Amino acid sequence: MLITPDVEALAADPDEPRPGRSWLRGLLAPKVLTGVVIVGIFTVLAIFGPMLIHGDPGSITSARLQPPSLRHLLGTTQQGQDVLTQVIYGARISMEVGFGAGVLTTLWSLLVGLTGGYLSGTSSELLSMFANVFLVLPSLPLVVIMAAYLPNSGSAGIIIVITVTGWAWGARVLRAQTLSLRRRDFVEAARATGQGPVKIMLYDILPNEVAIITVTFLGSVVAAILTEASIAFLGLSNVTQWSWGTMLYWAQVSGAELSQAWWWFVPPGLCIALVGTGLAFINFGIDDVINPRLRSAGSPPRRRPRARMLSGSLARLARRPARRVAGAAGSAAAGPGAGAGSAVLELKNLRVEYRGGATPVRAVNDVSLTLHRGEILGIAGESGSGKSTLARAVTRLLRPPAEIVSGEMTYTARDGRRIDISRLSDRELRQFRWEEISIVFQSAMNALNPVLTLGTQIDDVLRAHRPDMRRVERAARVRELLEMVGISPDRAGAYPHELSGGMRQRAMIAMGLALDPEIVVMDEPTTALDVVIQRQVIETIAGLKDTLGFSVIFITHDLSLLIELCDTIAIMYAGRIVELAAADQLYQRPLHPYSQGLLGSFPTLTGPRRTLSGVPGYPPDMRRLPAGCSFQPRCPRAFAACADQSPPLIRLETPDPASPDPASVACLLFDAAHHDHPEGLITGGGHA
Amino acid sequence: MRVLLRRLFFYVVTAWAAITLNFILPRLMPGNPAQDLINRNAGKLSPAAIKAIQVLFGQPHTSLASQYFTYWHNVVTFNFGISYSFYPTPVIQVIQQSIYWTVVLIGICTVIGFVLGTLLGMFVGWRRGSWRDALVPITTFLSSLPYFWFALIAILVFAVHLHWFPTSGGYGIGLQIGLNWPFLSSAIYYGILPALTIVVASVGGWLLGMRNMMITTLNEDYVLLAEAKGLSRIRVMFTYAGRNAVLPSIAGFAMSLGFVVGGAIVTEIVFNYPGIGTVLFQAAEGQDYPLLEAIFLTITVAVLIANLLADLAYIALDPRTRES
Repeated sequence: MLITPDVEALAADPDEPRPGRSWLRGLLAPKVLTGVVIVGIFTVLAIFGPMLIHGDPGSITSARLQPPSLRHLLGTTQQGQDVLTQVIYGARISMEVGFGAGVLTTLWSLLVGLTGGYLSGTSSELLSMFANVFLVLPSLPLVVIMAAYLPNSGSAGIIIVITVTGWAWGARVLRAQTLSLRRRDFVEAARATGQGPVKIMLYDILPNEVAIITVTFLGSVVAAILTEASIAFLGLSNVTQWSWGTMLYWAQVSGAELSQAWWWFVPPGLCIALVGTGLAFINFGIDDVINPRLRSAGSPPRRRPRARMLSGSLARLARRPARRVAGAAGSAAAGPGAGAGSAVLELKNLRVEYRGGATPVRAVNDVSLTLHRGEILGIAGESGSGKSTLARAVTRLLRPPAEIVSGEMTYTARDGRRIDISRLSDRELRQFRWEEISIVFQSAMNALNPVLTLGTQIDDVLRAHRPDMRRVERAARVRELLEMVGISPDRAGAYPHELSGGMRQRAMIAMGLALDPEIVVMDEPTTALDVVIQRQVIETIAGLKDTLGFSVIFITHDLSLLIELCDTIAIMYAGRIVELAAADQLYQRPLHPYSQGLLGSFPTLTGPRRTLSGVPGYPPDMRRLPAGCSFQPRCPRAFAACADQSPPLIRLETPDPASPDPASVACLLFDAAHHDHPEGLITGGGHA
Repeated sequence: MRVLLRRLFFYVVTAWAAITLNFILPRLMPGNPAQDLINRNAGKLSPAAIKAIQVLFGQPHTSLASQYFTYWHNVVTFNFGISYSFYPTPVIQVIQQSIYWTVVLIGICTVIGFVLGTLLGMFVGWRRGSWRDALVPITTFLSSLPYFWFALIAILVFAVHLHWFPTSGGYGIGLQIGLNWPFLSSAIYYGILPALTIVVASVGGWLLGMRNMMITTLNEDYVLLAEAKGLSRIRVMFTYAGRNAVLPSIAGFAMSLGFVVGGAIVTEIVFNYPGIGTVLFQAAEGQDYPLLEAIFLTITVAVLIANLLADLAYIALDPRTRES
């Protein structure tokens, strides 16, 4: 099985591990269990309660308006009726109406929603219009009118009235769901095999809507119980039939709240609210399962210890005037370590873990890297290799459950001050961001705020970081930035959806350069673009880099792109860097078997033709990494020791005399201890 | 512009459907509601009143089409006949007297409930896993309470026990209704408890919806990018996350408005507030069908107008809706 590491959809996801059987855990959450218990108790009460209790809820005695006592646990009404007996009988009617109307409402919404969503054309439009009209009509007055025509019709009449007025919401939800399912492959496939529409709806679509249908059903039950209570409270249903609503009707008519007979009207209302809460809790659980975003992320980000500035104050750093770099390598280097080629960002033993599941997943494992001033450093790897997580760690954008557990990230400013990024306080971090490191995301469509104009989103940066700039100056800067990336300045007033994909990505780059940062992190900035636009964007980036002199961390799965663009390339696999080398050298002589495989899976744009081979097997499961070298199960050149030794990243002491920079590689083939291995130092996959 | 026209068209159709429904319902009901009414009030009704009832609820020996036509004529001219429960006041006059109370009370409370619930939902969704999550079960419980029951409790605690507010009514006895300070201050004083009830009971629904949308929106790249830009927390929360998260709430306004208004109307009854809800209750008790019908139409039209305003707000807030 050949896998080319080209999975855009997955690449957008920052390597988040998916815990298995999460739906089960979602349903067993304490909230859901509480809901099930509450609803269960009331259901049992409704079914068996009246059999167990002796006495008639309507029987009148002389014990009037008695507060709760041993004889009358919940007191008595003005007619001396026992409140507890009424509550128990009331449970039966209220639950009967609630569940009865819930079932009918759901069936009717399902019928309208499913057919309306599956069919297309006029009939679908009409059904949708029909539902929308009912949705907007205020149901209570409608119920009142209908109920007024149905005196003494008992529960059945009320159930019908509630169904007629309450089905529209569910129909709309189910229609939307059906619409999205209709275009799925398995439905298309069923249609292609000649199945009839009814069969498709029943066997292919319906089973996929079970969760939504359940949510709709439980929601209708709550609404029905509340509506029944309202109707009964208005005296529109049969007031001698005991429901919680009828109890409240009698309490209100007799002025129970004025005579302070709280025991009379508090219990029925509480019962309604409890059943409603119980059903809502169950719905939360199902919602969490349907919408994983509601479930993911738990605790708030932990406060980091206060910043330990290695030297100098960040406030001063952030407030410096906007710097224009004219030449290629920047002007007048101040202080040590500020010249071109010196380190601007150093990562040391960086480790990032996702701590959501039972065992923490190490998405970035022991990564050490140095980014030099003015350099383009490429990071390549399959989706799930940890490259995006690394980008977010450097910008401190990780969200729980992802967390930097150890390591150092040191930023060196142009004047030589060193800042430990992982120790910045919230305030210092805000000042540091964008001023020193900006980021460009993969999908500009998702990364631009859809409701703000392009200009506003760039202006936001200036307003936050340059409070002294006047409005006119900011507007001029926005125009300048847009022009820089080849967008007409009058597009500043455009919204993201009004721009083409390439323009949006350029706008993102313009935004990234707004404050003249030292480092721009580009997380797959061209993946979502077609080849021609991709080329234009890459040329823009390279050109701007030459004039402005910033450094770039360029992340992509597209190794051939990196080879053209970058100075240095790091190859990541399973959270580790497996090879680090100059771009040219990596292309000529890839050392790690994985790099060789990656290079074999891409045609180059300019290089010589070669056979595409790819990397066999699948990307590893980050929760269960194999022992020893993570790549060993897929490695064509693995030998016995690979299964139990995890190779460290070592700098090769005997570089090819032709290449000036020594490369580093994490592979036992290059470990001195295994020199006896036949392939030992004979490297290269023969690509050159 | 085309979007606006399409929405406008939808509301015209909905209004037409509601008014037609009002025409069809009594004619679909078993028996003969019009004759029942006339018999029940035998001797009390003038020939003109009998005629009005028949127009509204069904005329013998007349084709449905011509009945429908006459019905529309009456609706357009606000001729809903005479109210029985407020005999011999015309229905339209009863509604005129009560509608302002309801529009002011429920209008203000709905807006306050929405704004408050949305803001709270935004704060709760912003940071998950903190103490703020405890608000979720509490608000779930609050939003499951029947409004009118909550009103009973409010009266018991704040009016009967604490004597902070009057137990019922809309203004002090003996005051002249009009734009004078004694009346206005009294109306505000009487309105606080009902308003509080409606706001507290309605806030939960908006809060929960906004919280969920907020959590979903916080995972969007543009929020992450706003954070990366070093914007202030307030700016990220309101302009990037909140601004986008609130859109479905506004779109869902239509779904919830009918429910909120219904609940608020029943609340009026508990407070014996001189609004349309209390009149509805009296009309239902006295089986005053002409008044019931007219109230239904009034509330429907009011809700439709409110929905149209929410739609306009949506179009203003989401640039993507403005084209095509």
